[in-house]
Amino acid sequence: MAEALVIKNISKRFGGLRAVQDLSFTVKEGETLALIGPNGAGKTTSFNLVTGFYRPDTGSVSVFGREIVGLRPHDVCAHGLARTFQVAKPFGAMTVLANVMTGAFLRDKKPDGARKRAREAIEFVGLTAKEHTPARDLTTIDQRRLEMARALATDPRILLLDEVMAGLNPTEIDQAVALVGKLSKRGLTIVIVEHVMRAIMAVARHIVVLDHGQKIAEGSPNKIVANPDVIRAYLGTGYVHVATPGAT
Amino acid sequence: MWGLRISSMLWLSLLVVVLLVLPLVVTSRFAIDIFIRILLFAFIGVAWNLMGGYAKQLSLGHAAYFGLGAYTSTILQIDFGISPWIGMVAGGVVAMLASLPIGALCFRLRGPYFAISTIATAQVLMLLFLKFRDFAWGAEGTTIPNLGNAPLMMQFEAKAAYYYIALGLLAIGLAITYRIERSWMGYYLVAIGEDEDAAEAIGVNAPKVKREIYMISAFLTALAGTFYVQYIYFIDPNTAFSFNISVEAALVSIVGGVGTLWGPVIGTVLLETTSALLQSWLGSGFGGIQLTVYSLILIGVILWRPTGLLGVFIEAYRRIVRADPSKQAALDG
Repeated sequence: MAEALVIKNISKRFGGLRAVQDLSFTVKEGETLALIGPNGAGKTTSFNLVTGFYRPDTGSVSVFGREIVGLRPHDVCAHGLARTFQVAKPFGAMTVLANVMTGAFLRDKKPDGARKRAREAIEFVGLTAKEHTPARDLTTIDQRRLEMARALATDPRILLLDEVMAGLNPTEIDQAVALVGKLSKRGLTIVIVEHVMRAIMAVARHIVVLDHGQKIAEGSPNKIVANPDVIRAYLGTGYVHVATPGAT
Repeated sequence: MWGLRISSMLWLSLLVVVLLVLPLVVTSRFAIDIFIRILLFAFIGVAWNLMGGYAKQLSLGHAAYFGLGAYTSTILQIDFGISPWIGMVAGGVVAMLASLPIGALCFRLRGPYFAISTIATAQVLMLLFLKFRDFAWGAEGTTIPNLGNAPLMMQFEAKAAYYYIALGLLAIGLAITYRIERSWMGYYLVAIGEDEDAAEAIGVNAPKVKREIYMISAFLTALAGTFYVQYIYFIDPNTAFSFNISVEAALVSIVGGVGTLWGPVIGTVLLETTSALLQSWLGSGFGGIQLTVYSLILIGVILWRPTGLLGVFIEAYRRIVRADPSKQAALDG
């Protein structure tokens, strides 16, 4: 399988804080990779580095072989890499349809064509009934759906989802998990930042763990949950021996 | 969605007929003068609204472009004998070009800082025209030579002619807004106004879109500047770069409804009529009383209806329509 997204040695400092240090990982085409780690580990910063919102101090990011470091966010999106935001950012004054059409205009500048693309994306995430609702009136999960539809309307090959399940109740998490699975089946390469472990186990077969801006582990979900470094990062040193006797 | 979606051509054509016939019926020069002011400021408001309303880039420096338009056509006319009709377009081009460096500076800032920086640009231009006397008459300004009835030099004996020019400008401004609102650009502008980062993330080149709409807005505002000095036969830096122009441009849109096709028009009709009537009723009384009443009305509107008066009309219309299901379909379509 081709390499969809290759991140090599990217670093970013904010003053004295090393937000991301020497981070490398590769996402294969069609796979779903989860990026996890405690709060402040640098997950969202990594997303911002990849999507052009921040410029890495060092390192390279390539999308299907094309270097994208230094491109502005809209150019990154035009290269087929779309994202959602941790705090949903709907265009509140616009209807759901207008929101998604705004994304669709990237590939088709004609309103009729964009409307058609937008309707497909809206149907895909299951928001068709609320097409004419102003985005500011949507519930949390529907705002997340809208964000996904808007990203989808830009016709991406890689989708970065930043905590799409935060703040959802268990039923809604199941719906969101199903939706991510559906996106993956469609052939999209997905990178997902998430705290909800149940969701990660359900969608990802490849996990990268960050702590203090560094990658501390990478592998399949089963390997990750047994990894002493991961347990230390999440729960503290005292718990490591409980999970893996003799490891300390 | 954002504009008044009552697509009944009937109302529009009725409005057009009334506006065309108006100067034939009303002969009072005072009334025609008020109509011209309304049309002119509605046009400036429409030009401002493209950027300030749809994309929410609150400029308080549109006098810069009004003044550049006014000075370009006047200099071309007096120093080179070129017709203001050509000077008007030249002024628009000068304003467009000026908006590039001004935008490059001001768009680095967001929100209130952007607004303040735009005020500064208009003030700087005013000072330049005040100080460099050899270039354009300095603080004294100049009168525009009266040629009698010379339509090719944009001079007319009948006031009605100015009325029709202003009406034509407003029609152009509204047509451009209508086209933009329905195209990808309209969606991009509103998206930028709502959340610039989210817009960038879905492929909107925000700096480029802002630059382009600023150029269009500056071009149109400059046309108004040329028209205004031709109408009053006089130009000086304080008139051409007046802060009042900048404020009025924003105010009529805010009162009428920002980011809507008709908002600036409705806002101007209300504000200009009120201000003119107050002036004729109260002007001879206590000094400044008309301004006080005017300000109170303004505060009232903004407190009562911060989204602008157009919103009130649309809501009222919806309420009427909802009572009659047969009309509901027309509203959705």
